[in-house]
Amino acid sequence: MDLTDTIELPTPATAADTVPVAGGLSIFDPVFLGIDEFGHPAYLPMIYRNILIGGEPGAGKSSLLNTIVGHAALCPDVRLCLLDGKQVELGLWKDAADVFVGPDMDHAIRTLRRVQTVMDNRYSFLLARRRRKIGPNDLFGQILVACDEIAYFSATAGDKKDQDLFAALLRDIVARGRAVGIIVAAATQRPSSDIIPPSLRDLFAWRFAGRCTNDVSSDIVLGHGWYARGFSSNSIDPNNQGEGYLIAEGGIPNRVKAAYMTDADIIRVADYATWTRRRSGLAAPAAKVAA
Amino acid sequence: MSKSSQRSPFGWSNRGGQVTVIEAPVARSHRRRAIISFWVTLGVVGLLAATVASYYLHPILGALLGVVLGAVLGAVVFALIAAWPVLRVFWHWLPEIVLGLAVVYGWTTLMQSTPLWGSLLIVALVVGVPAAIKPIRLRVMAWVWCLIVRHRLRLCFAAFIATNRHGSLPLILPAKPTPAGERVWVWLRPGLSLRDLEQDGQVQKLAVACWANEVRVMRANRKYAALIRLDITRREPLAHTIVSPLPDYVPTDIPANAPTSPGMPPVGLDLPDVPDQPATASTDAPRQRKPRNNTTNTTSPNGFDPSDYA
Repeated sequence: MDLTDTIELPTPATAADTVPVAGGLSIFDPVFLGIDEFGHPAYLPMIYRNILIGGEPGAGKSSLLNTIVGHAALCPDVRLCLLDGKQVELGLWKDAADVFVGPDMDHAIRTLRRVQTVMDNRYSFLLARRRRKIGPNDLFGQILVACDEIAYFSATAGDKKDQDLFAALLRDIVARGRAVGIIVAAATQRPSSDIIPPSLRDLFAWRFAGRCTNDVSSDIVLGHGWYARGFSSNSIDPNNQGEGYLIAEGGIPNRVKAAYMTDADIIRVADYATWTRRRSGLAAPAAKVAA
Repeated sequence: MSKSSQRSPFGWSNRGGQVTVIEAPVARSHRRRAIISFWVTLGVVGLLAATVASYYLHPILGALLGVVLGAVLGAVVFALIAAWPVLRVFWHWLPEIVLGLAVVYGWTTLMQSTPLWGSLLIVALVVGVPAAIKPIRLRVMAWVWCLIVRHRLRLCFAAFIATNRHGSLPLILPAKPTPAGERVWVWLRPGLSLRDLEQDGQVQKLAVACWANEVRVMRANRKYAALIRLDITRREPLAHTIVSPLPDYVPTDIPANAPTSPGMPPVGLDLPDVPDQPATASTDAPRQRKPRNNTTNTTSPNGFDPSDYA
């Protein structure tokens, strides 16, 4: 058997005449992030990747996370698993998501355990088929684990044991999830070692640093040494929300301005995603359970 | 502090055999290089010319002709290398010199071929139209900044970037205007590396010298470590809001099916509504143990905490 082939999704037998179709996006398409300093569009390929978003409060972290979640929500084969200690940042996607975790440590750990089990099962399945990773239109879709305010789960809520367990589970998902299409996008204000274990922080290949309060914070988000080369997100105008340094393809920080969706836009996209997902059976049952 | 010089094979008057060491090592190395070039040219060209000339002339005449030819060419090379510090300045200012000559000669030609009012009209048009139209004006200003920045960078490299023993500065390659400022490519000479530019405060000094907001340095090429790129920013091109294209994927005729959650009563939304309860600190918290190697707990005054990177 060819190791690179993929298995086509079977078409549902009960296809109606008119069904709402999702936006026609795929998580294999790069996510439109915004524009860079040269006015060119900045795209971020998210498949097989993870991103860590940092920056001071009001730097535009959640706006960027909303763009990524919005793209995934319009992909017909991506399940959303949202963790948000602040509830309202990702809460507008609640009905389109399979799981939405608010400020509930126990629920967060249960959810990550579920994702971990899915990951293990998928690897066993791939091994049985003598394959190494999934492709587009595969037998199973992708899962986006978006976590806003990691600090709430890894340093604030619950006791030390729960926090360590949360960090360990998230680290495992970030470390092993990429080949089976489990994508992690995490945001926090200052990912220093007392908030996120450095072993977890260093696993995120892609970084976005919104404005930071000092040069050291910027270096913590982007990686040590970038400040010395002149890349410090401390120099960003605090009033220019959404601007920051992005490390993606090329490995060199690129100054970008993240695209912005108004709340009305988010609600519109989220409602549409919910509608299409319920019709296609992607979100409805799980969303009910989560709610 | 002085030291006697052994080498004076060619007319350089180091009077009394004394040469000061601290005086311009660059000039000395240039003189040395010029002398070596003279002898190498004399040898190579002389031999070649003598070989070719001997084919047509008597061998002794041919050899003499070769020596003469070699000496003439060697002298030319020597003069070029000895005058290089001066020629280099001309090369650095070549765009400005060409521009100045063009202005002077252009004006003279214009005055000779048209009456005064015609010349003034043409000059007013040539200067006024680009100055009045904003995109052209910005473009011209961007090019002017490119010229300025290359001079400023040369100054920086000479002033505070460590150079090698020959005193040769990095080669400043072309500059290109960007929406944020300029981008300059630089070829580093042996003895320098990107690390020298990354040292504490260097990019900030470059920014000050270039009259810019900030300067960022990075490698420009995956193959050559010597080729680096400097991004000089003096404008903010990202101030506008970028609208996400995601709502465009949503058709306009979707039904208004906004899922409504069961209404949550507005209870506990203000401070008096939330009772003051005793804090429940767990009493069986483990005793704080002193870490065994407590070396990374020092915090430096500028807020740098090494344990963040641990």
